[in-house]
Amino acid sequence: MLRRTILKTAAAIALAANMGNVVGAELAGSVNYIIPFGPGGESDISARFQQPFFKEKFKQDLVISYQPGGGGAVGWASLNGLSGNGQTIMGVNLPHIVIKPAQKDVGFTTADLNTFYMFHYTPDAIVVTADSPYQTLDDLIADAKANPGEVTMSGSGKASANHLAQIKFDKLAGILTTYVPFKGTGAAVTALLGKQTKAEWGYTTVGAKQGDAVRMLAVAMDERHPLFPDVPTFKELGYDMTGGAYRGIALPNTADAATTRMWSDMIGEINSDEAFRQQMLDGGFAMLDVGIDDMADFMAARVEEYLDDARKAGLIK
Amino acid sequence: MQVRLYSRFAGRHRGEFALELSQFLAAITPFNIALALFGVVAGTVVGSIPGLTATMALAVLVPVTFSMEPASALILLGAIYTGAIYGGAYAAILLNTPGTPSAIATTFDGYPMAKRGDGDLAVAIACFASVFGGLVGALSLLLLAPPLSKVALAFGPVEYFWLSIFGLSLIASLSNGNLVKGLTGGAFGMLLSTVGVAEISADIRLTFGSQTMIGGFGVVGALIGLYCIPVLIDLVAVPDRHLKVEENVKSVRIGDAFRLTLRSKFNLIRSSVIGTLVGILPGAGGSVAGLVAYSEAKRTAKPDQNFGEGEPDGIMATESANSATVGGGFIPTLVLGIPGTPPDAIVLGALLVQGVRTGPAMFTQSGSIVYTFIYGLLIATILMLPAGLLIGRYAYKSIVTIPKAVLVPAVGFMTIIGTFSIRNSVSDVIIMLCLGVFGWVVARFGFAASPIVLGLILGPIAEQGFVQGWTIGAATNNLFGMFFGRPISQGILLFTLITLVLPLYLARKKRKAAMEAK
Amino acid sequence: MSNSSVTRSSGQLGSLIISALFVLAGVITLYDTLGYTDRDSQVFPQTVAIILIICASISFVTRFLNPIDEGGFGRGSWWRRILLIVTMFITCFAMPVVGFLPAGVIAFAGGLIAAMHDRWSISNILVYWGSGAVVMIAFYTLFKFVLHVPLP
Repeated sequence: MLRRTILKTAAAIALAANMGNVVGAELAGSVNYIIPFGPGGESDISARFQQPFFKEKFKQDLVISYQPGGGGAVGWASLNGLSGNGQTIMGVNLPHIVIKPAQKDVGFTTADLNTFYMFHYTPDAIVVTADSPYQTLDDLIADAKANPGEVTMSGSGKASANHLAQIKFDKLAGILTTYVPFKGTGAAVTALLGKQTKAEWGYTTVGAKQGDAVRMLAVAMDERHPLFPDVPTFKELGYDMTGGAYRGIALPNTADAATTRMWSDMIGEINSDEAFRQQMLDGGFAMLDVGIDDMADFMAARVEEYLDDARKAGLIK
Repeated sequence: MQVRLYSRFAGRHRGEFALELSQFLAAITPFNIALALFGVVAGTVVGSIPGLTATMALAVLVPVTFSMEPASALILLGAIYTGAIYGGAYAAILLNTPGTPSAIATTFDGYPMAKRGDGDLAVAIACFASVFGGLVGALSLLLLAPPLSKVALAFGPVEYFWLSIFGLSLIASLSNGNLVKGLTGGAFGMLLSTVGVAEISADIRLTFGSQTMIGGFGVVGALIGLYCIPVLIDLVAVPDRHLKVEENVKSVRIGDAFRLTLRSKFNLIRSSVIGTLVGILPGAGGSVAGLVAYSEAKRTAKPDQNFGEGEPDGIMATESANSATVGGGFIPTLVLGIPGTPPDAIVLGALLVQGVRTGPAMFTQSGSIVYTFIYGLLIATILMLPAGLLIGRYAYKSIVTIPKAVLVPAVGFMTIIGTFSIRNSVSDVIIMLCLGVFGWVVARFGFAASPIVLGLILGPIAEQGFVQGWTIGAATNNLFGMFFGRPISQGILLFTLITLVLPLYLARKKRKAAMEAK
Repeated sequence: MSNSSVTRSSGQLGSLIISALFVLAGVITLYDTLGYTDRDSQVFPQTVAIILIICASISFVTRFLNPIDEGGFGRGSWWRRILLIVTMFITCFAMPVVGFLPAGVIAFAGGLIAAMHDRWSISNILVYWGSGAVVMIAFYTLFKFVLHVPLP
């Protein structure tokens, strides 16, 4: 709380110095938190987790609304047209904001987005049903080697985190699997549970949600996820693969530096709350703390990585 | 019987009648009943305004529920959802504009009924059918959720593909003799559905470089444009009244509505079962359920029934089916953790925040909350009967008595604000208006709006099912078996063929009989 | 009715033009699909576009061979229709500039005048405009403050 008071004072000083600027680094009522997807996805769930903590810490309502369309592109293309007074924020997702503008003109570029915090990611994971013959990752690889192309793997969308992971892993393991795109993780999981496909490229969140019904063969993290101590990482098994879908929040680029910093600190404060972290981990998420100061480096590294992967996969030119 | 079925379902609570009773009692506290009533009323109002969806109302209300008991919060959310699906019928019947996509097929017979002066009857029938369908859906959720959730898993990409083809076969009977024009409209609607960023492939289609089109044609906006704008254009052009009013009609027509509904019990039961089953399918939803049930009701119509010209059974089929999807949709949501519809997804999110673990473990770990919620949903559905009839009468009276000079601009204003708020976008409103003018013009030359809308809604289901089915079939070298070898697919295919061929056969038989009589 | 008047009737001509437009839409789609990188995104639009072209062509040809005076814009005054739609479009373009409520007034006024078939009188002017204001403010409040829609 003290930190916030200091913050406010600092912001007020900055404001006083910045004569004529009526935008203050202080919340003036409820905040509109736009999710550029429909409800029920990982972006929505993590925003819903933030909602009560925000209210408790900063005494303002965080009003979540959905603005689906174009795989998020409709929302991001409209973001910089919104007011930069700090009362409107929008969720951003990697690799979406890198791949989409690289494919075609979608009305925004990665650099356009004033992303001020990346607060979690969902590590890639290969998921199979509990009664699947694949007990380990090696079983799946052996089957794929014996029957090239016949191992079908569902996933959410194309040119998405799941799709990039599939392409990358196929290369690393020297196998050929068939990727079957579905509309969203929910549909991809349904297809897996219904045995329409033999495995799924999903996230650790799938393992958390489906519990005993599924088994994860490996997760793309540096260390094992605390919720799944028995599931090995790809690295342990000899495949250099870490990553997943990263999620953060952006402001319109008209927001001044003080407002952006205030937001970065606020989201950071929620992220450092133990109860919040625990809730996220129980949901299968992995935490990430990239604030405004480290954003440029983080983004540059991710952009390079994703564009490289996508180019190798033939998804962009 | 109920106890036996129920305890088998509950698994862990085998025979513990006291626990069940306590869950039921927990649901019927005065506070929860008040919440259910408020939810149903608010939902009905939300549903009756085109553009205002249950998803939006629920999204706004979720933070309010953080400070409540989880079960109470869920009852409120479920009641709003139920009410909204029913409320969609008002606008469908009185303005020819589905208030929610679920009510599309309600316009087919509801608006003709209203036009000939039976609007109050239609609204009351919609209420009875909705309550019946809602109860069937909620009871299925209560008694049969785990076995029924298997339906969601048995439905693979190919089954979705054939289901959408079955839905599209309705075009044949909707296009009133001009099949070619109906198919043209349907194909055009499917093309509209592909505009923008492709859902499951890596391309941006048919935007011609325009960024406004990246989001594509939203279903809700398209519905408002294609159905509501033509009505407004026709309304202003001539001085006639909007709906015909019988001067010396009996003041209450609830009795008539009840008798008519009772007479069609088979239609009601069949449609509710269809609604529950389609509701379980995560990729389908209320609009598809309504269309499928309507199609089946029309296929089995008696010779004296005129579907499409104000046949009460048409409303009953759609409204019972779409209300049944509420309970049906919660089956995969609660049992598998896979939300069937966007409102289900929001309820699922609210549950997660409340600390309720969803998915397979939910019924055993959070059983009491889940059962209290299901009882709450049942209570809300029953409360919909008095609330719905009352609001329905009021809605009918106000639409009939408001002078045209106020009705038209008020509805026009509503279409603008409603379309805007779907994605907070002005360009969506402009697209809606353009579609509306386009729809009005083409309808004047025999290309009706409904086939276009069917194409728009079923197009993505058909495309995704086809692409996924083809990918899997090609990978396993079994394309033919994939599309034609699976039993559920064969069943749907058979129904599709019957729907398409039977009317032709009957018409030929009739003509032959007429020839012989000559 | 003589045959030539049928072939030149607005219903006949309009139907032909619209069928032709649908064919054109199919052709444009086929052209657009050539630029897609992913085979999965091509299959469906191409199939549907071909169906559209075939159906619309059949519709065009049968109508051309058997002209009938069916379809058309019917009776009714054009200025009212146009006023209604044009004011709604103006509202859309004015909205970002003047705000939602003032822009909404344009559409409301247009619709009211377009739909006003009775004689104007002081009382109905007051009642209609008054109820219009109530409806608009009620909706505006509902959406903006209850549902938190960021109306401009």
